[in-house]
Amino acid sequence: MPNLVEFLQSVVNGIGVGLIYGLVGIGFCVIYNASGIVNFAQGVFVMLGGMVCQALLTQFGIPLMLAVALTIPLVAISGMIMELVIVRPMMHRGATLFAIILATLAAQIMIERITLLTFGDRPRTYHEFTTGGPLKIGDIAIGYQLFWILGCGALLVLLLWLFFTRTRTGRALRACSQNREAAQLLGVPVARMMLISFALSAALGAVAGILVTPTQYTAYNVGTPFGVNGFIAAIIGGFGRAGGALAGGLLLGVLQALAIVALGAGFKNVAALSALLVVLLLFPNGLFAGFSRGAKAH
Amino acid sequence: MALLSVREETMRFGGLFANQSISFDVEEGELLAVIGPNGAGKTTLFNVISGFFPPTSGSIQFDGKDITGAPSHQVASAGLVRTYQLVQLFKHLTVAENVEIGSHRVTRGGVFSALFRPEWMRKQEKNVCEGARELLRFVGLEHQADLQADKLPYGRQRLLEVARALAAKPRLLLLDEPAAGLNTQETEALADVITRIQRGGTTVILIEHDMSLVMKIAQRIVVLDFGKKIAEGTPDEIKAHPDVIAAYLGGTETVDA
Amino acid sequence: MTSHATISIEPAGIRWQAMLPVVAVVVVAGFGLLSSDYVVTVLGFAFIYTIFCTGLNFFMGYTGQASFGQSAFAAIGGYGSAILCADYGWEPLLALFATMALSGVAAVIVGFPTLRLRGHYLAMATFALGLIVYEVTIEWTGLTQGYMGYSGIPPLGIAGYELVTVKQQLVALVVLALFGVAVAARLRQSRFGRALASIAGSESAALALGVDIARYKLVAFVIAALYASAAGSLFAHFIGFISPEVFGVTMVVQSFAMLYLGGIGTMWGPTIGAIIVSVLPEALRGLKEMQDIGYTAILIFILIFAPRGLAGLSALFGRVRGRVKEAA
Repeated sequence: MPNLVEFLQSVVNGIGVGLIYGLVGIGFCVIYNASGIVNFAQGVFVMLGGMVCQALLTQFGIPLMLAVALTIPLVAISGMIMELVIVRPMMHRGATLFAIILATLAAQIMIERITLLTFGDRPRTYHEFTTGGPLKIGDIAIGYQLFWILGCGALLVLLLWLFFTRTRTGRALRACSQNREAAQLLGVPVARMMLISFALSAALGAVAGILVTPTQYTAYNVGTPFGVNGFIAAIIGGFGRAGGALAGGLLLGVLQALAIVALGAGFKNVAALSALLVVLLLFPNGLFAGFSRGAKAH
Repeated sequence: MALLSVREETMRFGGLFANQSISFDVEEGELLAVIGPNGAGKTTLFNVISGFFPPTSGSIQFDGKDITGAPSHQVASAGLVRTYQLVQLFKHLTVAENVEIGSHRVTRGGVFSALFRPEWMRKQEKNVCEGARELLRFVGLEHQADLQADKLPYGRQRLLEVARALAAKPRLLLLDEPAAGLNTQETEALADVITRIQRGGTTVILIEHDMSLVMKIAQRIVVLDFGKKIAEGTPDEIKAHPDVIAAYLGGTETVDA
Repeated sequence: MTSHATISIEPAGIRWQAMLPVVAVVVVAGFGLLSSDYVVTVLGFAFIYTIFCTGLNFFMGYTGQASFGQSAFAAIGGYGSAILCADYGWEPLLALFATMALSGVAAVIVGFPTLRLRGHYLAMATFALGLIVYEVTIEWTGLTQGYMGYSGIPPLGIAGYELVTVKQQLVALVVLALFGVAVAARLRQSRFGRALASIAGSESAALALGVDIARYKLVAFVIAALYASAAGSLFAHFIGFISPEVFGVTMVVQSFAMLYLGGIGTMWGPTIGAIIVSVLPEALRGLKEMQDIGYTAILIFILIFAPRGLAGLSALFGRVRGRVKEAA
């Protein structure tokens, strides 16, 4: 039987990884709101964030902050390439929804394989941002990286909120999510908004990957679990709502951490996927649909 | 006894009454038209009758059975078949196959009979195929049988939709604005088809905006305005009805036969 | 007008045309039988995937739904056959049918709630199902031996007579694949098949004609699961070894590549796609490591530029198209 310490410890761990899921979930929402597409390749950005940052740090010996500053735009560009090369031509040709989903899934596998060929299949990681730790509160250990995750996560959410409410581009993106045709008529450059949404979404994924890698590892194939869990977070939050995705991610992270304690590490993904099915079937509008209806427009 | 009885049918969306206490009967073999200005609640009435959503209150009786709130595929199975305001064809299939699917209600057989093709199944397939050709002749589409449905010109897509509904051998056919978007010539062809359907013994309810069409072919007319029935009678009675004139003059359309 | 031309095709002509792909398949298989065992193995994969994709085509092509988790049923078939035959000494054929029944039941239980979903939700829910089964095959080591995989699976056989050489097995796979295609074609050309096509065409029109959409979707899902399960079992017997990776996400993407390349919703599309996608990387040797990149590149290219696939290319020739429609 798990005791109280184990329980609290897993909640703490769950919050950290849950915030990461939340960021990925927001990434899903950003693209979905701008284009109506669910980008199945979302997890790949997390993987790329970790891999590129690790390569810059260890192979080129670049200092951490510079590596981060280089990684984010690099991954954002990969998102823009995906939009330009795959999604845009398909939308122009009136491809079906399933075909576009499928193409993004194919893109994910392609990027994974290219990464595998370039970097090999060895799992990689790098130092926590701040050495030392963990911080001990009683028997509960809190790694310093968790504070980085929480701090950067909160900062990012604040920046996103400012972006969507205070800037012209952010407001235009929101207009697209309300009604794309109307936004187009009002002179919002919808095509450019889609490109921006892919870049933003990829950048969010990259930040998530950079933050989470020191607490575990990164390898060519870590994208799928992050992508799926991020999607689950978005669904729990009622697809399309950034705040909901964040809350959904935290919930999912904690749930998964508890499942690890109760069932063993192997079944964490089974637990998350089962949670997805339950939410999809019982709460198709998300867990918070009941009391956040007014907050739907962010 | 009436084939269809609508009793005190009310449909509310939030605070808005789309239909309010609507009652009318349709007799076997009749051609009834439902008219009214835009937003009068005609299509809502059709959706309720055909089971696409249950009414807030009231009841629908079809052939003596209560079908209020029954799922739409069951309503259709009972013999009440509808068409849509916006053409809903199976675009990727051929014209003939569209009509063949229409016979779903009056045929039987699932996976096993499809695999083992017993005698009755082969006979049924033959009948379905021949019946479809016959219906295509009936609406004048026999030369387009093997064309992909979305390659038909719009007016002919309408006729195909009617032929497909007829393949279901409906006891009551609901036509939702079948003449919308048709030119005069096409409308005339359609009017001819509808009249022949009714003469063949099928009961028809028609929602229509085209007044000349309605006045020419309908035997009886029900008029809706703001979700309420304001008049019911023969075309001549309706033309003279003060409330109808007021409703149409107050709106954007005129009664013009 | 083209319609006259298509009407005037005689029934005897249609028969003859419809047999062409069968002849082509037999020729491909015959070529395989005269080649090395390696070529035979590659072709064996192709025909196993033909079965898998023919089932998937039922649900996606004919009925117009999406399942990203068919690999789950292949895993049930594969692991079920492996365990029943290797550990309990069952007859392979009996195990094949038993696991198909199990997959069918699983499809009903899973499909009943899931198929109410549409669009992205259906895609993701089925994707999740595939991933759940994949994770279970890794983690439930007591049953599946995890990453180690399951070996010692006997080859196909009947009543004690085993098909020992790969060439014998290839013949069996060709026969089974053609049987699967024939069954699918028969089902499509019937009241049942037309009801499925009506759902793909317009759900509201199907409802208005009395089609019980939920039921037909479920039946199509179950049929797809039966095909997937059979393909999984055949894989286990053909290779004699299975591991979780066999039924992973790659299987899903590979089968979609086949389906879209060959032509989704057509009778022979899955077969054409399965053979080409299986053989192509082998033909382009040296591409070994790049295989998956090749698949995904092909898939993306087709999705963008030719979403109707190779079988759809015949649409360029009006007359031929009439026949394809008749044959399908």
